[in-house]
Amino acid sequence: MSNELIDFVIVSIALLGIGIYGLSVKRNAIRMLFAIEIVINAANLNMVAFGRFLPHSGGQTLALFSIAIAAAEVAVGLSLIIVAYRMYQNIDIADYRSLKG
Amino acid sequence: MLEISSTPLVIIAILGVIGVILPLISIARKESGSNSFYAVIAFGALIVSIGYVAYQLTTEHILPSAVFSEDVLADDAFGGFFAIAMLIVAIFTTVSSFNYMRKQNHPAVYYSLILLSTIGMVLVAYSTDLVMLFVAWELMSIPTYVLAGFIKKNPSSNEAALKYFLFGALSSAIIVYGISISYGLTGSTNIGEVIQGYSSLDASMLPLALLSVGMFIAGFGFKMGLVPFHMWLPDTYEGAPPPITTLLAAGTKKAGFAAAIRIIVLGMVALNLDWTLALGIIAVMTMTIGNIAAIMQKNLSRMLAYSSIGHAGYILIGLAVAPFSAVGIQGSLYHVLNHAVMKGAAFVAVGGIVTTLAVTNLDKLKGLGRRMPITSLGLVISLLALAGVPPLNGFWSKLMLFGGALDASSAVSWAPWLAIAGVLNSALSLAYYGWIMRRMYFEGETEKRVSEPKSVVAVMIFSIIFMVALGVYPEPIIQFVETASPVISLNAMP
Repeated sequence: MSNELIDFVIVSIALLGIGIYGLSVKRNAIRMLFAIEIVINAANLNMVAFGRFLPHSGGQTLALFSIAIAAAEVAVGLSLIIVAYRMYQNIDIADYRSLKG
Repeated sequence: MLEISSTPLVIIAILGVIGVILPLISIARKESGSNSFYAVIAFGALIVSIGYVAYQLTTEHILPSAVFSEDVLADDAFGGFFAIAMLIVAIFTTVSSFNYMRKQNHPAVYYSLILLSTIGMVLVAYSTDLVMLFVAWELMSIPTYVLAGFIKKNPSSNEAALKYFLFGALSSAIIVYGISISYGLTGSTNIGEVIQGYSSLDASMLPLALLSVGMFIAGFGFKMGLVPFHMWLPDTYEGAPPPITTLLAAGTKKAGFAAAIRIIVLGMVALNLDWTLALGIIAVMTMTIGNIAAIMQKNLSRMLAYSSIGHAGYILIGLAVAPFSAVGIQGSLYHVLNHAVMKGAAFVAVGGIVTTLAVTNLDKLKGLGRRMPITSLGLVISLLALAGVPPLNGFWSKLMLFGGALDASSAVSWAPWLAIAGVLNSALSLAYYGWIMRRMYFEGETEKRVSEPKSVVAVMIFSIIFMVALGVYPEPIIQFVETASPVISLNAMP
């Protein structure tokens, strides 16, 4: 089994593509949140892999910051989705149309 | 090492401590109802912070222009300039919330979140390291997601917050991906070292470097409201509580420009590419689409939201011609400050109108000039300043931006078209601003004057004085802009 940097980068770019695809196709708020998480994790994978192949560990530190911040962001996002669910009994963002013009 | 008395650290200490203590006080006092006590404390903290920034700038302890530093933060004039613009916006938000929060619960949490978001905005402008920039960016964004949906029982507020959250989270995910690529290419997260690494990059790695800069443009562009990334902006500005719209339109948007100038412009110069045309095209698209969409709006805050997209286009002109003209980037900085005050005042006026009369539809504004004279005067002067009418401050910054575009015409042949597009768009915007003014003053029956909220009146008087005084006598601010704006050329690279 090979263990080259390029393998990690390819997986990361694939994850980025999956995340962007999910965001543009899905209309369920939780699925969209998952898609964003996949993009953030693609970046984390990139940073950890680069940190492994570079002579210092800055990448791992950066990934830790990114994971902690993503957790805070998801907490806020899920709470917004819960409030929306209580109001509409639905988490399909295509059905939220009080604002348009 | 940064000194303990350097501006960003002191601002973190003041605003952070107050921001954490406010909710604790409210728990200790076992109350969740309306109380203006918290607003006064938050206002005091913001005044002390802006006073400290001004003191540091006048005593010249700080470094001129935008510097690269080994630390994560640099105490420079560029950061100080943006810090002043953002703190003014935070003060506008807090003062206009005095009136708005009288009918809402949990004021302590609300003001605490405003202070935390303000720390984030200020730190974005000061940061010289990509990790610090990302952390500050999230510190700025996450409180505003909550604030946009603060009125839990209101469907539009919640919808606005959810849309804002999905796009905001995507933008930060894209930024962190861009950071990961630039870290992999250069082996560092310090912005100075990243740019140095980019300028000596192997030619085979160029596509990846372009991808990272493109991701920074997309990520910061979401917050700035540049055109392919602007879909969330009108919905969020319309649905969020009016004081928070002030914070979003005038504050977080400017933090995007601070980050863009620090990273994108300098990074693009280091890559030595012909990139300016791309930014120029985005600038023209942004201002044209923003202004044309604004004409068709029936709702006042939605119209101002589209006009805010248009102004992002004007500011981007300066970034596009940055390598050829120093005046252009100075105009960008100046317009950032002016737009913060003008748009802040306009949204505070809208907030005052919404809370007093509960109307936002343009057709219902008839006779407003007689019902709420001071708010109307503030709104009219800020609209005129936004359109760039001569004796007001907006005129000078637009003059510098368009002059910068003409100045760059010796280097690039397409630059004058940016100025032409800008002038045409300003004329277009004057058309729909004039339409509002006609509604307010020349239509409708004589109606009784209603009492205007004192906090809104205070903001209006301050911003009228600011806009007129800087319009009549702009020299001191132009000098300040000249010291604060970064030198964009290959020789200035670290």
